[in-house]
Amino acid sequence: MALEEKLYRVRYEVDPDHPHIRVKQELCSSCGRRVCTFICPAGVYVESPGDPGQIQVRHENCLECGTCRVACGCEGIIWDYPNGGMGVRYRFG
Amino acid sequence: MGEEHLEAQAIVVGAGPAGLMAAHRLALEGLEVIVVERGQYAGAKNLSGLLYSTVLAQAIPDFSSKAPLERPVCKRGLGLLGPKDFSVLSFGSEKWTCPPHNHTWVVYRAQFDRWLASQVEEAGGTLLEGAVVEDLFYEQEGSFKKVAGVRIRGEEEAFRAPVVILAEGAVGLVSERARDSLGMRPGEKPQSYGLGIKEVWALAASTIEERFGLEPGCGAAMEWIGSPFKGLVGGGFLYTGKESLALGMIVKLESLVRAGLSPQDLMEGFKANPEVRRYLKGGELLEYGAHLIPEGGPQAMGQLCHNGLLIVGDAAGLVNASMYHEGSNLAMLSGRLAAEAVIQAHLLGDFSRKSLSLYERMLHESFLMEDLSRLKNIERAHLVFPRLMAELPSRFTGLLVDLFEQAQVPKKDIRKEAFRRAMDGMPKLRTLLDLWKMRRMMG
Repeated sequence: MALEEKLYRVRYEVDPDHPHIRVKQELCSSCGRRVCTFICPAGVYVESPGDPGQIQVRHENCLECGTCRVACGCEGIIWDYPNGGMGVRYRFG
Repeated sequence: MGEEHLEAQAIVVGAGPAGLMAAHRLALEGLEVIVVERGQYAGAKNLSGLLYSTVLAQAIPDFSSKAPLERPVCKRGLGLLGPKDFSVLSFGSEKWTCPPHNHTWVVYRAQFDRWLASQVEEAGGTLLEGAVVEDLFYEQEGSFKKVAGVRIRGEEEAFRAPVVILAEGAVGLVSERARDSLGMRPGEKPQSYGLGIKEVWALAASTIEERFGLEPGCGAAMEWIGSPFKGLVGGGFLYTGKESLALGMIVKLESLVRAGLSPQDLMEGFKANPEVRRYLKGGELLEYGAHLIPEGGPQAMGQLCHNGLLIVGDAAGLVNASMYHEGSNLAMLSGRLAAEAVIQAHLLGDFSRKSLSLYERMLHESFLMEDLSRLKNIERAHLVFPRLMAELPSRFTGLLVDLFEQAQVPKKDIRKEAFRRAMDGMPKLRTLLDLWKMRRMMG
């Protein structure tokens, strides 16, 4: 089952104007491993189709697990809590 | 907000089991307590496996008739998976089918935590949902620096209280900032994490009971290690809900990073195993989720209280990462103990670190620390597990399958050949040593 199909079953309160994740593109462009692109359970981090040197952040898919913060060896991810009531909203959990 | 300060006698950050249990205890004592939760409702960001209810039962003795529990665990299974073969040790007891059901439940935390929050409100506590605590509010400087409330995102005025209980969970941004600003002693080792992935599948109750061999209303908990986890430190689980299954895995994050594997691929590999696949047949995916579990044990915990501050639950690293995977019960215990210390502090009018350290002392005298202190070796697990996790399960299940192979040759030869294949290329001494080390890590 594809990840997209799984994420489709997750409820989110989307807050498009307030991304809670930023990456330091200057670090990402020289990062060889790019752990974020395979470790995130929601596939939030992808290499930018237009510019593979950049990391594109699909923050609206974030499950707020915090894996990327721990796994990025370069401290290239600035992760904050989404605004109150926003972000992932589990029904089962 | 006007001229007046918003003020409470205690503020709890995070409406999970640790924070809610603390708030419940404080509210029953008649203290004015407010729980601030960043999710739309308590439990909105939470994910869990089983709930052990010994601490809950003390606080709310009739919880089992009120709480949204899925099923009691009446049957457990520990299984080994090879690529094609499997073996399972299944066990249970008549005792487990009757109250208190060995205090082991399948729950969905988004529903359970919401109920626990309602109990806090019933006891007189206040819940503030959908509000993000950005940072703590401090007063004074130097060694007198103390926590005197919280700063909520979008609010100019601080929300004041003489004591704050941080129960933020595994991703504790405010706890991290607080440790820095107060210069709290860090753990001897940095925290390390397990990554939990969970899928909830809809399935009819009768199908679940038939597939797991359960009496109506009874539940099962299966856990596996073996080849789907590719030698990483980790394993899979399958728990029965009322009309759903919770399937997932917990893998040591460091080992996943080192191996360069994605949790999605690992999870799909686990689900594709024939022994696992058959349970899901005909089901429909309802929800997917991911969560971190702090697994560093006592060495990663560090200082848990300061002037006006207590840290509890996952934010404090209070998880027993052994085969029991006990987290929410320990969270509830730490919440209760923190509340006891706050009650004492209110009686004495003293919220200093010295006064609140009653919490740390009570933690150290509890069963929780006894369990956690036995986990010191778990950090080294990745040195031993790859061999054990990758090789032993498939070899053992292969041995069982080979032992029962039917052919027109003497059984003695079949046995000999089965053992030869199972031991092929396995240094005996190293294997025994690995097993011994693993036993020590079980806690």
